[in-house]
Amino acid sequence: MSGSMSVAGTVEAAAQVVLVAAGSPLLVGVMRQVKARLEGRAGAGVLQPWRDLRKLLRKEAITPDGTGPVFRAAPLVLTATALVAAGIVPIATTASPLDGAADLFAVTALLALGTVALALAALDTATAFGGMGASREMTVLALVEPTILMSVFALSVPAGSTNLGAIVNSTLHEPQRVASPVSLLAAVALAVVVIAEAGRIPVDNPATHLELTMIHEAMVLEYAGPDLALVEWASAMRLTVLLGLVANLFAPWGIASADTAAAALAALPLALAVFAVKVAVLGGALAAGEVFMAKLRMFRVPELLAGSFVMALLAVAASFFLA
Amino acid sequence: MSDVTYVRLLDLACGAFLLAAVLVLWRRDLAAIVRLFAIQGAALAALVAVLGVHEGLDGHGAELLALGAGLAVLRAVVLPRLLRRAIVGGDVRETEPLVNVAASLVVAAGLALLSYAVTRPVVALEPSPAVRAVPVALTVVLIGFFVLVTRRRALSQVVGFLLVDNGITAVAFLTTSGVPLIVELGVSLDVLLAVLVLQVLTARMRAAFGGTDLDDLRELRD
Amino acid sequence: MTSVTGAALSASLGASLLAAVAGAALPRRVRPAGAGLCTAVAGAAAVVAGVAAMTGRSWSAWLPELLPLAGVRLAVDPLGGLFIAVTGAVAVCAAVYGVGYARPPRDGHGHGLDGRTVQAVLPLFVAAMLLVPAAASVSTFLVAWELMALASLLLVVAEHRHRASVGTAGLWYAVMTHLGLVAILAGLAGLAAAAHGESFDRLRAAAEGLSPAVRGAVFVATFAGFASKAGIIPLHVWLPRAHPEAPSHVSALMSAAMVNLGGYGIVRVGFDLLGGGPVWWWLLVLAAGAVSALYGILQAAVATDLKRLLAYSTCENMGLVLVGLGAGGLLLTAGARPPAALALTAALLHVVNHAAFKTLLFLAAGSVLRATGLRDLDALGGLRTRMPLTTAAFAVGALAASALPLGNGFVSEWLLLQSLIGSLGEGGTISAVTMPVAVAALALSAGLAVATFVKAFGTGFLARPRTPQAQAAAESPATMGVGMGVAAACCLALALVPAFTAPGLAGAVQVVLPGQDALTGQVTLRLAAASSTVSPLLIAVSVVGAVALLRIAMIRRARRRARLWDCGMGPLNARMEYTATSFAEPLQRVFDDVLAPETDLNVTPLAESAYLVESVTYRARVGDRIERRLYRPVVAAAAAVGEAARRLANGSVHRYLAYGFGTFTGVLILLAVTR
Repeated sequence: MSGSMSVAGTVEAAAQVVLVAAGSPLLVGVMRQVKARLEGRAGAGVLQPWRDLRKLLRKEAITPDGTGPVFRAAPLVLTATALVAAGIVPIATTASPLDGAADLFAVTALLALGTVALALAALDTATAFGGMGASREMTVLALVEPTILMSVFALSVPAGSTNLGAIVNSTLHEPQRVASPVSLLAAVALAVVVIAEAGRIPVDNPATHLELTMIHEAMVLEYAGPDLALVEWASAMRLTVLLGLVANLFAPWGIASADTAAAALAALPLALAVFAVKVAVLGGALAAGEVFMAKLRMFRVPELLAGSFVMALLAVAASFFLA
Repeated sequence: MSDVTYVRLLDLACGAFLLAAVLVLWRRDLAAIVRLFAIQGAALAALVAVLGVHEGLDGHGAELLALGAGLAVLRAVVLPRLLRRAIVGGDVRETEPLVNVAASLVVAAGLALLSYAVTRPVVALEPSPAVRAVPVALTVVLIGFFVLVTRRRALSQVVGFLLVDNGITAVAFLTTSGVPLIVELGVSLDVLLAVLVLQVLTARMRAAFGGTDLDDLRELRD
Repeated sequence: MTSVTGAALSASLGASLLAAVAGAALPRRVRPAGAGLCTAVAGAAAVVAGVAAMTGRSWSAWLPELLPLAGVRLAVDPLGGLFIAVTGAVAVCAAVYGVGYARPPRDGHGHGLDGRTVQAVLPLFVAAMLLVPAAASVSTFLVAWELMALASLLLVVAEHRHRASVGTAGLWYAVMTHLGLVAILAGLAGLAAAAHGESFDRLRAAAEGLSPAVRGAVFVATFAGFASKAGIIPLHVWLPRAHPEAPSHVSALMSAAMVNLGGYGIVRVGFDLLGGGPVWWWLLVLAAGAVSALYGILQAAVATDLKRLLAYSTCENMGLVLVGLGAGGLLLTAGARPPAALALTAALLHVVNHAAFKTLLFLAAGSVLRATGLRDLDALGGLRTRMPLTTAAFAVGALAASALPLGNGFVSEWLLLQSLIGSLGEGGTISAVTMPVAVAALALSAGLAVATFVKAFGTGFLARPRTPQAQAAAESPATMGVGMGVAAACCLALALVPAFTAPGLAGAVQVVLPGQDALTGQVTLRLAAASSTVSPLLIAVSVVGAVALLRIAMIRRARRRARLWDCGMGPLNARMEYTATSFAEPLQRVFDDVLAPETDLNVTPLAESAYLVESVTYRARVGDRIERRLYRPVVAAAAAVGEAARRLANGSVHRYLAYGFGTFTGVLILLAVTR
């Protein structure tokens, strides 16, 4: 039984990694399309990110002068952390074999590891752009950390564990908890964090190439060809994983959490489809929101993050004082 | 109204009440601050109305509903309108508060924790849903005080003062589930009067000094 | 079987003495090698002794003849064994490294590190650090503590002929460490007086019956002393001065082994001898730890001196240890024993992890310093091609220090977070308010640590060299590489299979909390107090496996070299790089109110017009605000008193004699009046 369950868990985890890997460029495509339509443009189509990746992968690999192994390894590390995170996070199943290996802290730390690799690569280029991007990214990362950990704290109190599978299962068993003040406050806080981590407006503008406003784009300025493809792909996967995390922590319905291996596998296609819809809806909402918002000044970002930190702290306080 | 719905609505009203206070710290635009204050007044009125409906519509509950309507008119419409009139022609932004915005928000979080900790004995006396929300009201009082201490513009000071008053009113309603109508009327009139006086003072200040940065008043000392 | 511990500890102390003799007697050419190898043997024996003690082979001895009046009382229990083992391991790395580090670099002029004083005192310093956790009476403890302080002071000022700043650092260190000693002396002497005995057994038995006031006073006094040794804010001022100025292997010993003993003292006195205490003790510890963690890492984030950055990071990490200890005490007071055991385990594991990565980082920084003569990150850069071994070592250490997965710091910070989160409902309102704040402090310090070490590694080792010295750097000798390699291996082992420390840590925690086993599991760590799990090994295997797969998938063609994007302006040069200062600038601006940097902007206009600028100078300095606000006034007041006292001494012999005569008769009169 447990043997067949773990086999089923492995299959499900592999399926969710494949879904994230294949679907994340489509998510980016959907978001761009939503944005384009709202701005009155026709848009390039949902498949355009995949076409871009294919084009980049066919190009020659470039090593800029003076860069070293860190520069070459960073896209690999970034992509690897995103893939591993996709295997851990409960996207289609709560029974991933990696679920016990990494809790929510470990997942956020893992994603931070990818960011750090990219920041080091940016510094390795010895250009002012790279340094600027790395410096800004690290500042945002440092300030985001308290909010992440505080929202994790708030979410883990009812479940009694920081393991993602346990949190999702506990929400599945007590659905009314989703509407509690704790959950709502934590959701808002985590949403801000996700926006900051994924580098979306109002923290960062993924479409900009203007020196004064770049954060993420400044870091990857020297990448070209297959390396750039990896970086773009990894960014899309991180966005998918983060949105999926929010979706399934606060609305886990549809996830496969059956007791037997056969039932779990049977529920898998539906779970994957539901997940795709949830993430597409969240992504579309995010893109629609971006149309109406301007990017914040770099030094107003701490205010936004402080605000989300207040929400997270209130969530923790409420989880104790209102319990 | 079922108990679950009652608790939900109460939580919602309290949440909006607190959120409006926190956002007052976040926004710099004075017009937005006044708008937030109006929203908070509406939340307070809703809070009182929810309490009233829960009490039952005969007798005391009806009185609470009437009070809620009165509060809505005064705090969500009249006072914000008076304040908005004070903005016209003056400064429109709280440019540089004495404590910067990010730090203010962190302080607000600390104040929330403090008021939760302080009101534990009160909540333990009678852990009803209404009393459970007392820390929220106390937090609003503290945040109002904090606004008074750290904001420079006369108008934000008035809003701070009104936040304190909103918080105190909320505490009164949540703990006693109802203040006698006559007391509330007196308090409301006091507040109205205070705002009118402050508005006149602000206008005079602006006429005399051309600005309402309170720190400039220090020069009047000698 | 109790003799293993005793024999190994005796062997270790004997080897240290031998090393000291070797350092004093051998000719200069072989002196570093002889003394270093003996010290390494001493360290290895200490590791054996410590591990034996941790696995239950406690040992005690009484040597009545060795010290007058009280004799020497030694006892090694699992708690002491942990600190002995850590000190021993650090000593092995530092001693082997020291063999190469003391040898003058190519250009001939040495730092004087192969002189008799340094070579003879270093083993004594190690021996003193081994004696402190082994001491089992107040007098033995204080003698060992003072020996440790004096030995380290001599080592800190070793290079005073080369830099004037060494003298200032030594002075600060001497004053602070002796004030700390006075506090500990007062606390422990008071405890011994109240308990009518000075052996730790006697104190432990008598502590129950003491009045709360006495216990509180003893705790506060000893806490102040131990906190100043551990570099806790605001008693840290000596640390960011002394650690950068000391020779690097001594910095490693101080930062990775000596400061731990401050934490040891708090556990020993607070938990063991006094048997826990009221809530306010632990709130004090927790608050001091949280403030220290935040302020320390914030200063590290804006520091540009590599060793100063590492020193402030020590303040941060000891702060984290104190957060764990404070949470443990708080939970113990509330009667929640499993979470308390978890918090203490996390704190002790963090001591071990910090020792491992801080040794590595200081040794790597020393390697850079020896090769380039520079500690300023703004002047370094490009070392990855010139010093690949050192760069790899620093990378491992930096990964660990930034508490990211694949590094060992992650494991203990994860445990610490779990203990804080799990204790939310345990201690009533106080824990419900303090734990979220502690988690927030921990989280912010973790985030800032990431930024700090990205800065240190990225600007110091990657990119291009910014100065000719960095350009001319060459890899350090093999012995230094061995020292760094051992430390790096320890880091990796602790990062991948942290479970191997679990039995030892459990033994150490059980000294103060009998019957609690906080941590189980081999590959996946499981907690007794919470249902969260983590498996560092599985995470590492998955990430490395994924990287390998991607690497295989991506290898197809040769890579082509190309110019960097230079905005069409011609080749970029090193002056266009982001420096460490510019990297930290956004953080400095965000935390402007806390750091209060001093900036100075001078614009010199041309004589013809005020609108045309001839030159602009900009100077920014981020000093230690606590030092400026808290210590400068005290130092100024002390200087003023000293200045006033000079008037008492005008050089007249009669006046001096009159002072003596006056005091003497004054005392006699006082006696006559009061009797």
